[in-house]
Amino acid sequence: MISVIGDRINPGFKATRALVEGSDLAGLQALAAKQVEAGAVALDFTLGPRGKSDPAFLADAIRAVQNAVDAPLCFDYPDLAVQRACLEAYDPRRTPIINSLAETRWEMTELLKIRPCRTMVMASERLEGGAGRPNRSAGEIASTGKRCALRLMRENGLAAGDIIVDVSVSALAADTGGLNRAALEAIGRLGSDPELKGIHISGGLTNIGQQLPPKAADGSDLKRQLERAFVTVAVPLGFDTVLGTPWHSFEPLSEDNPVLVQFRHILTLSGTDVMRAVRKLYRPA
Amino acid sequence: MKENEQRLLDAIADMKEDEALALAKAMLDGGENPLRVLELCRNAMETVGKRFQDGEYFLPELILAGEMLENIGLMAKPLIQKGGAAAAKKHGRVLIGTVHGDLHDIGKNIVTFMLDINGYEVKDIGIDVPVERFLEEIRAFQPSVVGLSGFLTLAFESMKETIEAIARAGMRDKMKIMIGGGQVDETVCKYTGADAFGNNAMAAVTLCRGWIEA
Repeated sequence: MISVIGDRINPGFKATRALVEGSDLAGLQALAAKQVEAGAVALDFTLGPRGKSDPAFLADAIRAVQNAVDAPLCFDYPDLAVQRACLEAYDPRRTPIINSLAETRWEMTELLKIRPCRTMVMASERLEGGAGRPNRSAGEIASTGKRCALRLMRENGLAAGDIIVDVSVSALAADTGGLNRAALEAIGRLGSDPELKGIHISGGLTNIGQQLPPKAADGSDLKRQLERAFVTVAVPLGFDTVLGTPWHSFEPLSEDNPVLVQFRHILTLSGTDVMRAVRKLYRPA
Repeated sequence: MKENEQRLLDAIADMKEDEALALAKAMLDGGENPLRVLELCRNAMETVGKRFQDGEYFLPELILAGEMLENIGLMAKPLIQKGGAAAAKKHGRVLIGTVHGDLHDIGKNIVTFMLDINGYEVKDIGIDVPVERFLEEIRAFQPSVVGLSGFLTLAFESMKETIEAIARAGMRDKMKIMIGGGQVDETVCKYTGADAFGNNAMAAVTLCRGWIEA
């Protein structure tokens, strides 16, 4: 059974942006409730730049949403000061999720001293020679995820179940570098690693269909089908948490589903051959 | 327009890659002016760009058309050098980089590619670029447009810092600044002090056309 962290409290969505710009706390509460009713086990929470520039509104919005739902909030700011403000505003009886920690922002583990938290850690970037580097290969993603998870357990005392490793899911329409293939291979490595038993493995699925048309060649909803195709491949490898829209289905597709068949084929390709194969998802033969 | 010229233009615009490359090769082998062939390719890219903006084409078509143009350019380049003809004049200079704290580069790389094949002289200064490096590169490269890329929400702050530093250095009026990345929108654009934002590679090309060629 896959868990969904609802991703809609994010001004990247136009409807949410209107709520944030209008300081519409009731609207944010309704959005939170809608996500939980649709099955979200936690709610990602970011107000975009306003979260940093308007700490009073940030605190008001957190309190409003926590009053509307019991599900924990997943504070989505890779910024120590904003995270600190979020944790201070949040109900002390609940356990939030910090999103997102990274090896390149390890100072964010200071937040774990403020109160017990679960953490989402980005495996898509690493620290090397004092500088941040993007991870491109399965080995880099898996080793970064493992290193971070072990540090969180050993140095910060987190239980494995309190760690969510985000492998990063990329837009398929731009994936000439095989990043989704690497992410899936990394999920397999992390998911089968006995030292990491109990951790959660996640990725944001909204990206995968970006810059593609709404309909697949067979008339089905291409973006939703791609999300499900990823889940179909990833869950058997150990992927257990989606950062996504809770009212989307994340049920696996049948093996003969044309989008899944083509998605598996795309995963074997590199360079602009990926683009040619992606076109077949939405251009009738 | 000659028949073979129209066929080349149509082949590129209709994503017939093999046909487009074969036609271009035949034209170049037959003595056609390589600069004329490249002009046709750019005209075809205009059609591809319009179809993208009209929602008929998507990112894969942009990238594949760009690759066709790039490959034909490689065929034409030695002939241009051999003939002593001047290379096509670049429209203007664009400096682009991912702001500090952010390591994402997929979108930036696509924008760089699209600007390049659309005739701009682009300097890509990489990822996680500190403010001071942006200032140094701007002083040295003298771009008409600066593109700041970032995917993470923390990038908005870095974009703001970078633009403020450009202003403090007295260079803000000498250039247009565009931002792009995962979640940029009007609000982020206003917050950072950029002139405009784009959510796809063609938007960057359109912005540069409006600014540089106006």
